Amino acid sequence: MKVTVELHGATKDLSKNNFLEFEIKKNSSIKDIKIEILEFIEKKFKGNQNLKKLIESSAFCSEDDEIISENYKMNENQKIGIIPPIGGG
Amino acid sequence: MLHAKIIDSSKEKIDILKAEKFLSSSNFGAIIYFVGTVRDLNENKKVTGITYDSRDTMVIKSFEEIYKESETKLKIKDKAVFIEHVKGYVAVKEKSIIIGAACKHRDEAYNLSRFIIEEVKKKSPIWKKEHYTNEESEWLKGVSIQL
Repeated sequence: MKVTVELHGATKDLSKNNFLEFEIKKNSSIKDIKIEILEFIEKKFKGNQNLKKLIESSAFCSEDDEIISENYKMNENQKIGIIPPIGGG
Repeated sequence: MLHAKIIDSSKEKIDILKAEKFLSSSNFGAIIYFVGTVRDLNENKKVTGITYDSRDTMVIKSFEEIYKESETKLKIKDKAVFIEHVKGYVAVKEKSIIIGAACKHRDEAYNLSRFIIEEVKKKSPIWKKEHYTNEESEWLKGVSIQL
């Protein structure tokens, strides 16, 4: 099934489109998506360690802006957002 | 009473007069304005400006939650709060955030203003990309979002 990850902050460096799309297995969780993103960085960004650390330290949110846990199961065509460490003001 | 908004810097500027208008009321004896601006030096790098990114809907939600929390944590019932944060490019010296806190007494207003900015730093999904005089730019390290 297809899921879309909306990018924010420094994770926008991963794509000019400001989002990434992945084909994942049914019942995949946020933990699985994290692995997909890390593999994407391995392939497209030569395993850039800073980007990998950024993903490891990021949270994820649902379309209705709730922070979701690593065990959260995704649905077909679901959109989630990645929330890297913040620093407004 | 809360006013919370993200301002797109390409269309609008943050304006303290809007805050003054919103907070104007005979119910309050103290109003504190906190204005965040872009400074010209960070970690020995000369800064020309900052591009702010935000997840707008989640930021507004966080402002609403912070406002509600101020009631339970600070026990301030009668208050008005104005929060606007910029999204997009902001040059050095320009404003990135305005927080206006109006309360009956000054102690409450000072506490409320400080509480809001500290919570925004921890809970509002906003990111900064600094631009330097050598034409390089860099996303700043932040803190993991807190619930």
